[in-house]
Amino acid sequence: MTATERPLPVPDESSAPYWAATARHVLTVARCGQCGTLTLPPDIVCAACGSTDPAFEFVPVSGRAEVRSWTVVRQAFLPGFDGDLPFVLVDVELAEQADLRLIGRLLDGVEAELRGGAQVRVAYEDLTTEISVPAFELVR
Amino acid sequence: MITHPMRNRVAVVGYAHSMIQRRGDRPIGAVAVDTARAAIADSGLTVDQVDGFVSSSLLPSAGGRQVVDGVSIVSSAWLARSLGASPRYVAGFDGIGQLSGSVGMAVNAVISGAADHVLVHRALHNPVGSYHGNPMREVHGAMQWTAPQGFFGPLAMIALPYMEYLQRYGARRESMAAVVIEARKNGARIPWSYWRDRPLAVEQYLAEPTLADPICRLDCDIPVDGVATFVLTSAERARDLPNRPVYVTGYAGSAGAPRRLPLHWPLDDVVSGGADTVQRLWRQTGLTIADVDLPQVYDGFSPFVWFWLEALGLCPAGEAHGFVDSGGIDSDTPGAVPALSGGGALGNGRMHGVPQMLECYLQLSRRAGNRQRDVSVGLACQSAPHFGGVVAYSAEPS
Repeated sequence: MTATERPLPVPDESSAPYWAATARHVLTVARCGQCGTLTLPPDIVCAACGSTDPAFEFVPVSGRAEVRSWTVVRQAFLPGFDGDLPFVLVDVELAEQADLRLIGRLLDGVEAELRGGAQVRVAYEDLTTEISVPAFELVR
Repeated sequence: MITHPMRNRVAVVGYAHSMIQRRGDRPIGAVAVDTARAAIADSGLTVDQVDGFVSSSLLPSAGGRQVVDGVSIVSSAWLARSLGASPRYVAGFDGIGQLSGSVGMAVNAVISGAADHVLVHRALHNPVGSYHGNPMREVHGAMQWTAPQGFFGPLAMIALPYMEYLQRYGARRESMAAVVIEARKNGARIPWSYWRDRPLAVEQYLAEPTLADPICRLDCDIPVDGVATFVLTSAERARDLPNRPVYVTGYAGSAGAPRRLPLHWPLDDVVSGGADTVQRLWRQTGLTIADVDLPQVYDGFSPFVWFWLEALGLCPAGEAHGFVDSGGIDSDTPGAVPALSGGGALGNGRMHGVPQMLECYLQLSRRAGNRQRDVSVGLACQSAPHFGGVVAYSAEPS
């Protein structure tokens, strides 16, 4: 694997289980230990039930999602993306909960036919041996 | 019970505006001091009478730069000290809607008696180098959820709800030409505008390549150096000052959007948060949109114009694109809504709500010169309807 120029996430106490799971190609979402609501990214207080002790746990989700919006990025403001230009970012709603949204690259490329409501599933970009970032691909 | 406790009790009594430059030839702090002195003199006051200072000093550039007061930002504390003032009240607005929020704090300070004459300023600086470029190789904190995927910066931020709008309502980005052309047409008439005498043709807009579809460079206000300063005082004191007062009828700031990924603005958040902001404005002021003849919508990114037109009820939801396409906001057409008559940010430069507030002030104080319109109630919108604010101004105190 060639060394990536792309910015790499630095896992912290709020995200370490998430990045550990994506490294195994498993998508997880934080679930409030009090009310069960899924959220990303988790906050200090659960936005759904107001618990100040939400005890968030990252639980696996199906990776199935529906496209709500997208953009084609033609100028990158971060290092390491120039070789990938232009690329598509999709704003998706995960199947597990209404309005649970995630943004990632669509790996099908800029020629892919996109529309609101298009079905996608999670895919991964392996940036280093330790870091994989979630992306999406169209379900055909 | 007082139904509208702040309605028209505070007035804007003077202003000054620097030239707007791509990169200033003098430090922004020096320009701010000159502009503040000019605004105080314009108001018929002296520095020792100005006892309140309120502003937001946010530098919107995302380049992760070192912020230096007086050089890249100008705080109210720095400005008051540099003017040699002896203020009783100095505050920075830290909420949503930099200028609308600052005006709200100034109104509160005057009504409470915390200060008699409050200077509100906004100083914008365009740092050297790429405005939004960021060389980060490691992503800490909130951005770790988005930047590793390549979602970064305000272009992608606004592109997503814009594309969502186009999809939902069957709109086309070609309809945005009417917004950008209108802003540039009016900005070309503003003496201090960066775009003075430089209107834009539809063909130029349509020929511009996109940067983050459907957003192109011309949909974004251009980063600039510039300072605007306003002086506010009570309606009673305003009567004895030289300029015709413009009364603050009320204000509303966004309550804050749902927790999301950084910079993620789903269209439904914009719509529902915007409805909340605008309803609170009507409740606080007693106004309805039918009372408003000078709505100045925010346009730092062109899609904001569509979002505000719909949030304010100037056209039905989902129809702003057709409304602007059919000349609905042409300031030169009698009966149309002059929503960008002050040129906005697209027609002046990235002045963060200043063009909207200034147009309300100039028109309602009858100081707009050969651009003067016969109007009596204005709205100055800032940022997005769900993540910004709006101030209502009236020419008459009743």
